[in-house]
Amino acid sequence: MLQQLEVNVAFLTDSERELILEVLQRDEELRKAEEQRVRRLKAELLDIRRRGAKRSSGSYSERSCGRCQAALGRLSVGASQCSGCNHRVCSACRSSRPDGSWACSVCAKEADLKKTTGDWFYDQRVNRFLDSPGHDMVRVSLRKRPQGENRKLPPATSCRRRISLISSERMHQRSDTESVEKASLSSSRTGTESSHGTPVLSSEGDLDRLVSVGRGSDMLSCHLYFLPFGFLPESNWPTSVLDLREAGSEIDEGSMRDRSKSVPGLNMQVSEEEDEDIDSLVEIHRKNAGRSTYSLRSKSTMGSLMSVYSEAGDYDTVDVSGDIIFSLHYDDRSQTLSILIKECRSLAYGNAAKHRCNPYVKCYLLPDKSRQSKKKTTVKSNTVNPIYNETLKYSISRSQLVTRSLQLSVWHHDRFGRNAFLGEVELPLDCRDLNSSHEECVPLRPKVSRTRSAFAQYKGELMISLKFVAAGEDKKKKKTKDEGGELHVLIKEAKNLTAMKKGGISDSFVKGYLLPDKTKATKRKTPVVKKTLNPHYDHTFVYKGLSLEQLQGMCLELTVWDREAMSSNDFLGGVLLSSGPEKPEYMDEACLWRKMMQYPGSWAEGTLPLRSSMGNIK
Amino acid sequence: MTDGDYDYLIKLLALGDSGVGKTTFLYRYTDNKFNPKFITTVGIDFREKRVVYTATSPCGTTGKTFKVHLQLWDTAGQERFRSLTTAFFRDAMGFLLMFDLTSQQSFLNVRNWMSQLQANAYCENPDIVLVGNKADLADQREVQEKQAKELADKYGIPYFETSAATGSEVDKAVITLLDLVMKRMEQCVDKPAQETDSGEGISKLEAISPNEKKCAC
Repeated sequence: MLQQLEVNVAFLTDSERELILEVLQRDEELRKAEEQRVRRLKAELLDIRRRGAKRSSGSYSERSCGRCQAALGRLSVGASQCSGCNHRVCSACRSSRPDGSWACSVCAKEADLKKTTGDWFYDQRVNRFLDSPGHDMVRVSLRKRPQGENRKLPPATSCRRRISLISSERMHQRSDTESVEKASLSSSRTGTESSHGTPVLSSEGDLDRLVSVGRGSDMLSCHLYFLPFGFLPESNWPTSVLDLREAGSEIDEGSMRDRSKSVPGLNMQVSEEEDEDIDSLVEIHRKNAGRSTYSLRSKSTMGSLMSVYSEAGDYDTVDVSGDIIFSLHYDDRSQTLSILIKECRSLAYGNAAKHRCNPYVKCYLLPDKSRQSKKKTTVKSNTVNPIYNETLKYSISRSQLVTRSLQLSVWHHDRFGRNAFLGEVELPLDCRDLNSSHEECVPLRPKVSRTRSAFAQYKGELMISLKFVAAGEDKKKKKTKDEGGELHVLIKEAKNLTAMKKGGISDSFVKGYLLPDKTKATKRKTPVVKKTLNPHYDHTFVYKGLSLEQLQGMCLELTVWDREAMSSNDFLGGVLLSSGPEKPEYMDEACLWRKMMQYPGSWAEGTLPLRSSMGNIK
Repeated sequence: MTDGDYDYLIKLLALGDSGVGKTTFLYRYTDNKFNPKFITTVGIDFREKRVVYTATSPCGTTGKTFKVHLQLWDTAGQERFRSLTTAFFRDAMGFLLMFDLTSQQSFLNVRNWMSQLQANAYCENPDIVLVGNKADLADQREVQEKQAKELADKYGIPYFETSAATGSEVDKAVITLLDLVMKRMEQCVDKPAQETDSGEGISKLEAISPNEKKCAC
């Protein structure tokens, strides 16, 4: 996809230019203050969420409050459901709305946050504009002229500077924290330049080409190129999907991240950093150094804060060692499984370089890897022999329990980077003595390969139609930037989705990205269809300004999610359509994609099986 | 100026022909002063003001109060800045569409500004307040109230006749817009909740359940 963001500012005199830059500078200060505020607010929500509230699963006692877990009266069963998350909630955990209705404390806080952070607005705007915010466009256009800056740079440097501005703007495009995380992941893993940020700058030749773009434009406008897939080394193709490698629910802390994406101006700090040290950044681009500008960025964005809670950590970096000591007890009367996490011994250092380790233990009752099955201990600082003595509880019937496996994994909590995996144990619960609660000491093991996971399975189907509308067919276009063809993606319905909520239902929606550009610019969402496993969406995503050649190198990623009112959604499956190398099991996807390109102007319809994870595509 | 000590940051934007008084209007609103000199705005500018907003519940009783930080964008009316100013439309949550009551032409152009807004704002039907400024210059008036009111009704937006010189109706116009934006915000957020049918029916019972008091959160 070729997308150009330009504001014609050539007509401005130098003094006018400066005046406007001053205004934008003031605006930036306001944004920064706002960013701080939003960060604080989001931290508050995370705090509330983490307070042991139960998720919207069925494995809890019907008669306890969904928030504080206190017992509810017999009479109240079925009566005190929060309309947002369907939990039964006691009266103390409610907050009433002006219209007399009420929501539970978490749903209320979530709604509040959406208002106070301005996300209600950014959520709407993203549906309309593929481009970045206006102030960004203008700012970039203005700054393209070196004399607008205080520093006088030698000619060569100013060329580079121009480049970095372009690439920095490119980063603005992917301001979302997902890609920030992904980018740092890809750079740390592959050791090559992050394909996200600056694929263009991988060689001198490319550099020059870009420079000439900048020079050649009298308009002093900024052109941003979103390179199609095919331009990148193959190994980098699926980087934008890396976050999905963690199959199942955890990959996306859901709307929390979505939210952080829409925080205005989160990137401002970085673009400043960039100004400070623009030349060294260019150096970094050139050398294809492992540390991309993204990893610089990620420290100053919401991304780092969020990744604290994300599960997508590094599996490879740490050599697993040590034991975990715990005991299990099942109480038949209350139908509760208690897992007392006592301590861990001789853990590996999560951050080997700095000899630092802040371990916590995470628990699942497999095969339920959804968020509602996830429980965690607190994080212990700076120790490889953490003592927890914390009890994690699951409300679950005994008959259910014997079908489950207990998975305990230990993670290093990294404030700024990704959480590192320190080892895990998995215990089938069918042959355990759950009454004695004697202490067990089990050595931690490395991660079991995901591909062999027994829980990769049929996730249902997605029915879609694709149509490419060639340029010029739609005469109504006024705006020049919309020139080019359009890709229409009609999301019709899904069938046999996985049930995530009580009563065997899910509240699902479909999210789409046109890769390799996994940003708000290509992000689309259908409305949520509630309480069904066979939802009809009948919603069309439109991607503009495309040519068939570009589509050739692109990849349409559609993922289905269960909307979780507590602000993090559960992954239900997905499809990836591209003309890239296909594996036999994903034939249908490639066929449909090709059909769409073969017959522009007509709908290519297909039913695609949902992948249970988006990870193992090559 | 900004310490982050507010509940909402609301971004409004004033637009309209050159010389209708957008800058003086905003200056009156934020500083309660009037500057009769005409200084054309270069491209874009903004002013800020902290206000206390009181939410009104549907039943008419006043609800909570919030601190709202207003960022009021001022745009150049001149044609030559158009590409620049329209780029900022998308960042605003509500719009003050202004014309000059003493200039028929500026009123005729309201229609154009409306279509500019529809094309460039964050959504197709953003919150807008139509403002006829310079109401104090009664003897030079070219646009009649009825005329303007009809146009506003056609678009389904409120209309105010203001005077930046006297300050008349200035506050009211801005607050009305703020109110619209805040209401839309509520709608945006509450909509998902309303979709879920709370048809369990017996929702009164739990209120008298004594056990609930055990909840300690």
